[in-house]
Amino acid sequence: MVATLLVAAVVGIAIGAFLQKGRFCFVNAFRDFFAYKDSRVTKGVLAATLLTMVFWGIAYQFGYYQGFWTPDWGLTGLLGGFVFGVGMTYAGGCASGTLYRAGEGYLQFWLTLLFMGVGYAGFTVAFPTLESTYFEALTFGTGATLFELTSVPGGLVALAVAIVGLLVYATLTGRSSTAAAFGERADVAQLNPTALLAPVVGLRQFGRGTAAYVRGLVRAWRTPIASSKQPWDPRTAALGITAAAVLWFSQVSIVGVTGPEARWTGYLLSQVGVDAASFDYWGSVLFQGQGVGVTVDMVMIAFVIVGAFVAALWSGDFSVRVPKRRRLPNAVVGGLMMGAGSRLAPGCNIGNIYSGIAELSIHSFIAAVGIVAGVYVMTHWIYRDVGCAI
Amino acid sequence: MPSIDDVTNAPDELSDDRADELLEEADLVQDMMGEVCPYPQVEAKKGLQKIDSGDLLVQETDHVPCTENVPRAVGDDADAQVWRSGDAVYRIYLRKQ
Repeated sequence: MVATLLVAAVVGIAIGAFLQKGRFCFVNAFRDFFAYKDSRVTKGVLAATLLTMVFWGIAYQFGYYQGFWTPDWGLTGLLGGFVFGVGMTYAGGCASGTLYRAGEGYLQFWLTLLFMGVGYAGFTVAFPTLESTYFEALTFGTGATLFELTSVPGGLVALAVAIVGLLVYATLTGRSSTAAAFGERADVAQLNPTALLAPVVGLRQFGRGTAAYVRGLVRAWRTPIASSKQPWDPRTAALGITAAAVLWFSQVSIVGVTGPEARWTGYLLSQVGVDAASFDYWGSVLFQGQGVGVTVDMVMIAFVIVGAFVAALWSGDFSVRVPKRRRLPNAVVGGLMMGAGSRLAPGCNIGNIYSGIAELSIHSFIAAVGIVAGVYVMTHWIYRDVGCAI
Repeated sequence: MPSIDDVTNAPDELSDDRADELLEEADLVQDMMGEVCPYPQVEAKKGLQKIDSGDLLVQETDHVPCTENVPRAVGDDADAQVWRSGDAVYRIYLRKQ
């Protein structure tokens, strides 16, 4: 037990620190891509997800894992994910972003956390009704991961998916750069060779980018203390988060945020006299009939805030930040939508985009589409006066 | 000094003195303390629409990601520099093109 708690502390602090240093924000990743085609953080998110998938696949193949998280799939993922996506864009931080910003001293995100808690509690109260009217009506199949569905070894499945992902990325970047080179004059005859060359051009760019990144990393190592105080490349955060996630996968489970948070809500309410265990959702679903108490994933999530706090303090980024009054609706409404949406899906950006895709869960692919659609719609609304690139 | 900044596309840093000098000649100063993404980006774009070419827009913020996201958001519309107080306060200087 002590060993597991130690793992929870190490993993939580590492994830919190890497999120903070790399500004690893899922809202940023998709919102800024839609708003002005800034794909820097998007690449970090994709790299972390694909790398984690490869390592989790290998760990699964050799039996070094504790279990997958595979909710039944259906339209719940799409609808709940959409509500969550709108909520996180409006709040200005996803489930993981809210945690690390709480650690950086943003009172606004403590308020967001509080209202996510209200969302979890509200959902719990409505759960008996939702179970028959929402979940049963919109669920089509039993949850599963492609790792377990195929007879191909997990490591190979993950590698294949990662390579396909890389090729698609290379083709897209390669095509946009060759199209730019040919400019407007490119006609049908010229398009064919460029379409074939695109993956090669893209892969070469990917190779150059990676080499430049490694050179930068090597240079940064020469002045470790100064570099550690600078902001980090999202790709560095991706590597660090992957390492923490692999340790977590081999010792406890996949990485989740809003599930443990919903458990925290039940636990904290039980401490002030609410009989949380008597509610179906807390009693039998979240705590699985084992009584309302502190579980190891709850400890890990709490340490994410600690990790972000330490990293922010070290970088000179920590301060207690008081929100402007006009931003309070963002925390209240955004928090409520994230809390409720993450339960309706179920799962947040971490459970469904990062962990869910990394474990190739059918439910999570659907929920990820819902979340990204929510970000897309809300980004257009926020940028309605100044325009979006996509 | 070489740093990991080389791969993060961070805007140029201003010295303390230069940052104060520039703040005095700013044509528009936006108080973004306590604000989080994406509102500083939206306000920066709106602010740049109000001022003339060559004018200077300064945003004062305590939100770290803004020091990278705001310059990226305005893109070629402005030249960006940042100043870090070292104490969680930042200024973003945008010279309209």
